Amino acid sequence: MKTIDLGKRTLRRRDMLALMGGAAATGALGLPAWAQEAKKGGVLKVAAPANPSSLDPATGGAGSDHSILWTMYDTLVEWDYETLKPKPGMAKWSFPDPKTMVLDISAGIKFHDGTPMDAEAVKFNLDRNRTDQRSNIKPDLSSVDSAEVTGPLQVTLKLKNPDTALPAILSDRAGMMVSPTNIKALGNETDRKPVGAGPWKFVRWNDNEIIVVMRHADYWRPGRPYLDGIEFNIITENATALRSVVAGQNDMAFALPARLKPVIERAKNLTTVSSPTLYCIQLYLNYARAPLDNLKVRQAINFALDRDAFVKATLSGLGEPARMTLPSSHWAFNKDVAGMYPHNPEKAKQLLAEAGYKDGLELTIGGYTDQDSVRRGEVIQDQLGKAGIRVKFTRGTIAEISAQFFATEKKFDLLVSAWTGRPDPSMTYGLGFDKDAYYNAGRTADPELSKLIKESRVSEDLAKRAEVFAKIQRITVENALSAPLAFQFELDALSEKVKGFKPNLLGKPKFENISLG
Amino acid sequence: MIAAPSSGVNLDMFNSARLRIIGRRLLQAIPVIVLSTFIVFGLLKLVPGDVAVTLAGDNASDQRIAEIRELYGLNQPFLLQYGSWLWKAMHGDLSNSLISNESVLTSIQRCLPHTLLIVALALLTALIIGIPLGIAAATKPGSWIDSIVMAIASLGVAVPNFWLGMLLVAFFSLQLNWLPATGAASLMKDPWAALSHAILPALALASGGIAEVARQLRSSLVEILSSQQVRTLHAKGLPPSSILWRHGLKNVSVNLLTVVSLLANRMLAATVVVEAVFAIPGMGGLIVNAAMHRDFPVVQGVVFAMVLIVVTLNLLTDIFYSVLDPRISS
Repeated sequence: MKTIDLGKRTLRRRDMLALMGGAAATGALGLPAWAQEAKKGGVLKVAAPANPSSLDPATGGAGSDHSILWTMYDTLVEWDYETLKPKPGMAKWSFPDPKTMVLDISAGIKFHDGTPMDAEAVKFNLDRNRTDQRSNIKPDLSSVDSAEVTGPLQVTLKLKNPDTALPAILSDRAGMMVSPTNIKALGNETDRKPVGAGPWKFVRWNDNEIIVVMRHADYWRPGRPYLDGIEFNIITENATALRSVVAGQNDMAFALPARLKPVIERAKNLTTVSSPTLYCIQLYLNYARAPLDNLKVRQAINFALDRDAFVKATLSGLGEPARMTLPSSHWAFNKDVAGMYPHNPEKAKQLLAEAGYKDGLELTIGGYTDQDSVRRGEVIQDQLGKAGIRVKFTRGTIAEISAQFFATEKKFDLLVSAWTGRPDPSMTYGLGFDKDAYYNAGRTADPELSKLIKESRVSEDLAKRAEVFAKIQRITVENALSAPLAFQFELDALSEKVKGFKPNLLGKPKFENISLG
Repeated sequence: MIAAPSSGVNLDMFNSARLRIIGRRLLQAIPVIVLSTFIVFGLLKLVPGDVAVTLAGDNASDQRIAEIRELYGLNQPFLLQYGSWLWKAMHGDLSNSLISNESVLTSIQRCLPHTLLIVALALLTALIIGIPLGIAAATKPGSWIDSIVMAIASLGVAVPNFWLGMLLVAFFSLQLNWLPATGAASLMKDPWAALSHAILPALALASGGIAEVARQLRSSLVEILSSQQVRTLHAKGLPPSSILWRHGLKNVSVNLLTVVSLLANRMLAATVVVEAVFAIPGMGGLIVNAAMHRDFPVVQGVVFAMVLIVVTLNLLTDIFYSVLDPRISS
């Protein structure tokens, strides 16, 4: 048993990089040998946790799709694994002025069907993502006014307003380039016949069973990919997924719950990978109406929660207590507001009394039915109960309960759920806290907050942006607009022959570095 | 109308009375299918949650969700939605999954064989093990064999099959590495792999069946063997084995058939859980996933197929009843 635990790092990223630079240090830390020469060939068998919603990046919707989509689609922009800082992918970008973004595409990239991945193709994709009736990602590109071909390998975007979140957005669905030839030929039938420019090309997809991809011979990055193919066996029950790896039918299972860690460790010949992610388990609050329109009640909830105990009890310690919607390793983390709500049930009671609830109050809360969600709910119920907040649970499937909370019905005061994270923090705050945002159940927002969210997209300089995010986080935390609980670590089980796997902060595995030893 | 009587090997399976029964049963199946799909459709629409939210994706906005409803016809009146599904289904088009866009017929054609294989195997196991146990217990009622068999039977009924499934995996797959822990294979393409994948789930599924077959067989056989008719046979000097096989078992065969047919229906339902434990891409997994996301064309398609199977099974049972006991057909 070998453990790669990137979770307990108190190291800063540059320290990590310095460590990784030395081969000796790599060996000493027991890190995988991604620095060494990787062997080519072989088919990786992966237990995937969910059937994709679609294999067309524009029409799909589930956050679990990405790991599969990335095998077939390369993105215009990519990111740094540890910090999610954007870096060039198939294109380099620049902002000659705040309302113009220029994309310079690398030469010689071809889609799986031979269509050149050039300026025309990029324009086609961006226009489709922006305007197609079936596109789910129109809001991502709402700041784009027009996309012009300004050279065989250059596209210039004219923006309605400055938007420096665009590089990160183009590392997500909006930046996954699909073959225009394929889209034109298929019309509305694009969901199941993907053609991209990624390292592997599509072979077959049987719903809820299997997805197979195989090497794209003309892949643009020399020497890549290492694997001849990947077979995703879709197993939604995560204990079953892990058993399939223990039994040797799959080589890898990802996105496992923390409670399975002892099982992985007990198994011989398995490697455990755990690493921080942006996945934030939190209480969503509907603060548009009583009683949560009262700041003191919202603050009381935040004081009542014991986040350290929560991480121990529900994540077996495999997580980071959450003080805001970004983890401490993130470049936009504001440490000044991190200590605002220490665990203090007495303070919570006092705030409730001030708010007029001397004898405590009862809140309705929505939750899901899976084992992990139920356990989280129990811990929250207990912690809030000690501060005099009695919660009344309604449980159901994710689709059912989250729609009741976020969509038109507006049931429940609270929802125990999670924020899965986005490549750019402005997406996180825009989608979760802005006025009329879907994940802001009350649909109300302080105009100052809305203004800052826009402002966070003006500067290209990360330090300047971090300053704006600091202000945003101050508003969300001071006003207790949510009750973040914990950042869940990613937990993966790998068979020993899987080499070179690197987890990322987004918590959605990429397979580009993997080889089979 | 009637096929020429065959040379009398098996009476004639399809005399006119029987054909009439078959025809009537098939006609009865139509309202059953319509009613069951209608009820399921209604349930899906009654419970909160909406496929439009799933379809709109992670970055959904209220506006986008409304747009999706429009795009997929989800805002049409309930009866119109059901009606258009039924109309298409009557023309052999089971539509596509709203979420993944796979044709429902394709999904069913792929999933059904996996489910049928484990149910058939489980049924076979239940009979192969249950019948000898039942006979052993019935021929020596009150003996230690009887006690043991009845203890096994009680245990078999009490043990939940998903738990047994996990134990079987832990022992046969993870410890001994004899059989695969998860998945399924096509019986057509690779019969051996298909069987090796199906053995453990079938065993897990069969445990209750073994118990039931043994118990039912024992009680009805005990009743027959202690009847006056059998006493007469003993008096006539027939050997016990001949009494058991020619008179005893023949008399309980109708009971056994009832048990088997009920069992088959129940096992089909139980696959929902067992398939999850073994990650078998069968009908159970298909309908659970679809129901979770309110993907109603898939749910409807699966219900449609399952009702068809159950109706067919019941029809076959009825036919066999009248073959085994000619009094029934009149």
